[in-house]
Amino acid sequence: MSFIRQFVALLQINLAGLPHRAGSALAIMVGVTCAVGVLVSMLAMGAGSRQQEFGNVRADRVVISSVGDRGMAGNIPRDELAAVQGLPYIRRSSMGEPIIVPEAFVPMQGRRRVTGVRIFFPLIGVGGEIGADESELHITAGRMFRQGLHELAASAPCARQFTGFDIGDHRSIRGTDWTVVGHFEQGKSQVCVVYADVDTLMSAVGQNSYQRISLTLKSPADFAAFRAAVRADPSLHLEVLSEREATEDDFKPLNGLLNFVSYFLGGIMAIAATFGSVNSLYSIVDSRRRELATLRAIGFRSATVIATTLFESILLALPGAFLGCALAWALFEGMSVSPFGYSFHLVVTPSLAALGVVWALAMGLIGGLLPAIHAGRASVAGALRAV
Amino acid sequence: MRFLPLIWSGIWRKPGRTVLIFLQATVAFALFGVLQGLKAGVDNAVEEARADLLLVHGRAGLFSFPLPLGLLTRIQALPGVKFADPVELFGGIYQNPSQKIGIVAVRPDPGWLSTFTFQVAPQYAEALRQTRTGTLVRVHLAKKYGWKIGDRIPLQTNLAQKNGSTNWTFDVVGTYTDSDVGGGNDTILVNYDYVDEARATDAGTVQHINVSVTDPKIADTVADAIDRQFANSPNETETSSLRDLAQQQVQSIGDLNFLIRAIVGTVFVALLFATTTMLMQSTRERTPELAILKTLGFSDSTVFVLILAEAIFIFCAAALGGLALATLVFPFAARFVHGVSLPGVTVAIGLAFAALAACASAALPALHAARLRIATALAAQ
Repeated sequence: MSFIRQFVALLQINLAGLPHRAGSALAIMVGVTCAVGVLVSMLAMGAGSRQQEFGNVRADRVVISSVGDRGMAGNIPRDELAAVQGLPYIRRSSMGEPIIVPEAFVPMQGRRRVTGVRIFFPLIGVGGEIGADESELHITAGRMFRQGLHELAASAPCARQFTGFDIGDHRSIRGTDWTVVGHFEQGKSQVCVVYADVDTLMSAVGQNSYQRISLTLKSPADFAAFRAAVRADPSLHLEVLSEREATEDDFKPLNGLLNFVSYFLGGIMAIAATFGSVNSLYSIVDSRRRELATLRAIGFRSATVIATTLFESILLALPGAFLGCALAWALFEGMSVSPFGYSFHLVVTPSLAALGVVWALAMGLIGGLLPAIHAGRASVAGALRAV
Repeated sequence: MRFLPLIWSGIWRKPGRTVLIFLQATVAFALFGVLQGLKAGVDNAVEEARADLLLVHGRAGLFSFPLPLGLLTRIQALPGVKFADPVELFGGIYQNPSQKIGIVAVRPDPGWLSTFTFQVAPQYAEALRQTRTGTLVRVHLAKKYGWKIGDRIPLQTNLAQKNGSTNWTFDVVGTYTDSDVGGGNDTILVNYDYVDEARATDAGTVQHINVSVTDPKIADTVADAIDRQFANSPNETETSSLRDLAQQQVQSIGDLNFLIRAIVGTVFVALLFATTTMLMQSTRERTPELAILKTLGFSDSTVFVLILAEAIFIFCAAALGGLALATLVFPFAARFVHGVSLPGVTVAIGLAFAALAACASAALPALHAARLRIATALAAQ
């Protein structure tokens, strides 16, 4: 009991004295603010790209690729698509057709509006009624491409970022002439994709197999049964992934890199900030040597001195954490970036802010440890005798 | 010079404090060094990429649309073209899936080396020309797998032969090195004509054509001439120099400079703030000593310089320590960016930065020390 009473009393004394040591206190806060700010801002890139990747993922959607292939490299013959169409568990549209979208990818190049830099993005040939499946897709200008025609529909971000995607623009693909007829938005996605009719595209580029099939199940619960049905068919050399798994696979390298860079930089900044706060705390403790010795002499225990100094250190780090998160949010929330040619918005999520606070707590705790022990173990007589 | 002992004792007045400032600054400069090193590596890669070596590929995509081999003779006939060589790339694995090998099929006719960044001894180049199934392996690979001239190496690939097999066997006839910083290390060179004849699909086509020019100054003109030649044909080409490609790769990383500046800036703001308050505190504690110095006849400006010199010394030592620390990280960073380096100019910039940061953070405390009045300072005791 007496520990708690002593603790509270001593903490009050500590905090009351802070204005006299504003410089040191401020230095700790600025250090922590910078470290947390950089960490949270960098992680916001990863969070933003994840939010974009998974924003349109649906639990009842399934992605099929050929065995061993990932992303845009698949190779699915037409007869296997026909076999998939006959499988059970697939949801049917109001017309009674199974909702299956075969896809073919063709890399296409565009140039950035501002810098003129060349960038590659996928032209995706899609089959079937794309609107029926992709409910998050809506046309913002013009119309959808028509089957059998050399027409392209581009996502709105393409038109914003790159030249040559305005409605009516012509693009040449292997010597054939294609016209951009519409723009669409797809959820929050900032990715540039262009859709065309899959069979028309495949015949234009002389390609004979699909790269991927995406389809919608009647219910997410059917996934295991559907996967088993595909595996059981010896004529199908296909791999079934839920849309979430497939997306995770596609973006693993990018997310890994973003996270590594974030924690690496955040970690180094935290180390620097911790050295700084150790120094500031030492000087705070030092300037209170006689005061602390006096308190010890009248009965405050050294454990209390250690505990309150540690607590003070954490209290000083916390405002830095909040400020760092707030700055990251104010400066970067919603900002559009495109490292590695892939665009997304930065997102400062509550969990990132919480991580920033934990990071700051750790800095406060580690930074406060040595000065606190130093304060608690100083000899009372020596400190009182010193000038 | 005669003030050195005084500066030295000032620095070590409170060793713990000095060491902590030193450590914090060291970490900041280590970060500066790593980021600048990365940037230097990226700049180097662009600088070293050859501007006189052109790559011709299909307009729609880099490697997705093969070009007919017939383009080769038409390109060769264009003025300014020294040599044009077909290049086919495919991947294989040696023994187990983790041992990936990049296979580069070329036509080793006389003059072909001018279109690549490879260095090949003349007898090896000749041996590749004479041996249809021959291969030159990269020196690094030969060491890795212990391949010797005369060995036959079987590879599982993603390219089918006419007989249905995707296994290819090549005879090692020599080794080569590559000065290009990009691309993988695990590559071998084989004969294009052998591969083209044996493969099941896409015979008579080529993924891209490497072109060397007679004069590096006309590289852009030649590139334009090639693209114009095939404009509006089913095989439209896009010709870029290796340097263009490197440049584009760099730009796709995004605004690296902005990121580096923002982070280094933040680190230094935090550092300046911490050291300023620390030095402020330190001069305040030293008020009596400084007053005594002044009593002994040290002028205000000398005291100012003394305090400044202490900070400059600590910061410069930290800059050197931090940059040295950064070079320790380079071997690891080189996995992401080739040619990471710390050029002398970066070290100089770092030191200048250190002196500047020292002056900025010590200016206020030094001014405070210089302005001390002896009487009040001594009385305060």
